Amino acid sequence: MAAAGTCGTGTRSTGSMVAAASTNNVTSFQRRGPRASGADSGCSRLVSIAGTRPSVRNGQLLVSTGLPALDQLLGGGLAVGTVLLIEEDKYNIYSPLLFKYFLAEGIVSGHALLVASAKEDPADILQKLPAPLIDDSYKKECDEDVCSHKMEPDIKMKIAWRYQLLPKMEAGPVSSSRFGHYYDISKRIPQELIETSKWHGFFLPEKISSAFNVESCSLTPGYMKLLQFIQNIIYKEGFDGSNPQKKQKNILRIGIQNLGSPLWGDDICCTENCDTSHSLTKFLYILRGLLRTSLSACIITMPTHLIQNKAVIARVTNLSDTVVGLESFIGSEKETNPLYKDYHGLIHIRQIPRLNNLIYDISDVKDLAFKLKKKLFTIEVREFLCLSSQS
Amino acid sequence: RHLSPRLTPSEGLARPPPPPTDNCPNGSFRPSHDSVEWEGRSLLKALVKKSALCGEQVHVLGCEVSEEEFREGFDSSINNRLVYHDLFRDPLSWSKPGKALPGGPLEALRALDKRTGSGPATIALDSLSWLLHHLPCPILCQTLHALSRQDSCPGDTLPGEQVRVLGLLHEELHGPGPLGALSSLAQTEVTLSGTMGQASAHILYRRPRQRPTLQTQWFSILPDFSLELQVEPLLESQPPSDLHTPSVDPTTHLTFNLHLSKKEREAKDSLTLPFQFSSEKQQALLRPGLGQATSHIFYEPDAYDDLDQEDPDDDLDV
Repeated sequence: MAAAGTCGTGTRSTGSMVAAASTNNVTSFQRRGPRASGADSGCSRLVSIAGTRPSVRNGQLLVSTGLPALDQLLGGGLAVGTVLLIEEDKYNIYSPLLFKYFLAEGIVSGHALLVASAKEDPADILQKLPAPLIDDSYKKECDEDVCSHKMEPDIKMKIAWRYQLLPKMEAGPVSSSRFGHYYDISKRIPQELIETSKWHGFFLPEKISSAFNVESCSLTPGYMKLLQFIQNIIYKEGFDGSNPQKKQKNILRIGIQNLGSPLWGDDICCTENCDTSHSLTKFLYILRGLLRTSLSACIITMPTHLIQNKAVIARVTNLSDTVVGLESFIGSEKETNPLYKDYHGLIHIRQIPRLNNLIYDISDVKDLAFKLKKKLFTIEVREFLCLSSQS
Repeated sequence: RHLSPRLTPSEGLARPPPPPTDNCPNGSFRPSHDSVEWEGRSLLKALVKKSALCGEQVHVLGCEVSEEEFREGFDSSINNRLVYHDLFRDPLSWSKPGKALPGGPLEALRALDKRTGSGPATIALDSLSWLLHHLPCPILCQTLHALSRQDSCPGDTLPGEQVRVLGLLHEELHGPGPLGALSSLAQTEVTLSGTMGQASAHILYRRPRQRPTLQTQWFSILPDFSLELQVEPLLESQPPSDLHTPSVDPTTHLTFNLHLSKKEREAKDSLTLPFQFSSEKQQALLRPGLGQATSHIFYEPDAYDDLDQEDPDDDLDV
């Protein structure tokens, strides 16, 4: 009790202590001041980490996915401690873009990165990240795109004229603090940004020895090694608070590419009833446990179109927090369908997590399509042909 | 009989008429799918011959036919460049261990990986189907991926150090799982089919960050295993695009009118809307930032407004 402490030595009688307490007008309930918090940075509020912001809806700490349009659809961003699962499109053209946006956002915000892949060397993946755009060059891109889109700029809306200045998907650069940046896919990220960033790479062919032993546990050796690697990095770098003397808290962004493909040693894509069918689901479960206890966010791309057993896809969806599916039109009959001619594919938000909430935080719009322009990847609400103006 | 996996055109076939193995990208893996009616071994041998003629070293892992049968039809110059690894004669290594390849197919594949260290090389796998039956699919995929990657120091790869992996796959023997898994690994996929005795190859070519392209090429293989590209036969050919119904116009058969006639459009334009403001007022409302010092009142009288300046309360006698 701080009040008793300030009253000095025990030579005073009880009565005078009470009198002293009443004169000080201090109750025995004291607010814990900065002194009591110990080794913290001195502020008892939320520590502000670069590149994050609290959600306006439930106070969860959010990081940007690299695509501000996607951030909006997910309710402001990706919550720290959760998994974003991207269901790859058939020819794996657009899902690596989302993967790269996530990693590039990590570099620009100064977060630590952990890149795991069985197909490509993580160093090569990092070399191919898109370059960040500064605000005015983005505006220029936006304007020239809008001009080319509108063929008759003189025709303004007559009835809904108040909306003519409103952009299509609220796609404006976030002018306030650094949350969500824009990137130019046609350019590579400058080398110095990669060098100043802290990243860890996990490339499966290097980590697995050439002797293919029969796995003793139910996890395939590739997954086991990856989990150990992630756990090691989280512990060593202190993302789970295990090294309290670290002053600056930072976020670890984990990116795992093509999880579940045969290159990881998992035969879930090859057969319908495989022996190691629980390997992938166990991996996701353990990964989620690791993420929940540390300041990290994870993006996983998975070729779900190759998974033969549909029940596994449902389990994988349940074990992930946010699930976004990409469906590209290449090779399907939708490619020539006039309804879809402006877009390259559809984007499905399959699941949004309920974190400390009873309700979902889903956006109202369900019919979303994406388009890959020369420099940008945009997500738009799909306009129906029938309802657009026929002027 | 038509194999549904798509085929990608290689860059070579996009230009008429260079042979298909030219300009194959580094480290590419190309399975050829065949079926009972359109066999693929001749195409494989034709591609092997082409690589050998380019001066590359060719390693063949033979599992389904004997060495003599595979070498048949090649002349001696090609046969000298061909290094044959025989798994057909003694797959389980029952004979003396010195003769056949020890360790089974997996060891043979890994040995191929180590052997090709100098110069461009082509590895032909005589059949992936045989390997799929003897090895678990993920292990085969991982080994193939390791084969087609550049194992030499990364970043130090000379343009001549490419390893090309050709594989033959019998599509009917496998389910969609292994086929999908191998297709996702492959750079180029060639599916054989044909009509009326004329073989065609549907080629699906996946470039790393671009859209995959699909092309059909008609060809025939001459007795000495040279590849001859041909023009599509005109008689009774059914190119896949003809089977598409003409693109559907969604604006027909609607219950409401989407198009306006000229008179209707004029009538629409001349209609005065109830909340139509003058353009100054519109601009002022759209840009609220300017002129916020004082508040402005915009009054535009309606058609029904009474603009009488008299105060009606004057009549009251209060």
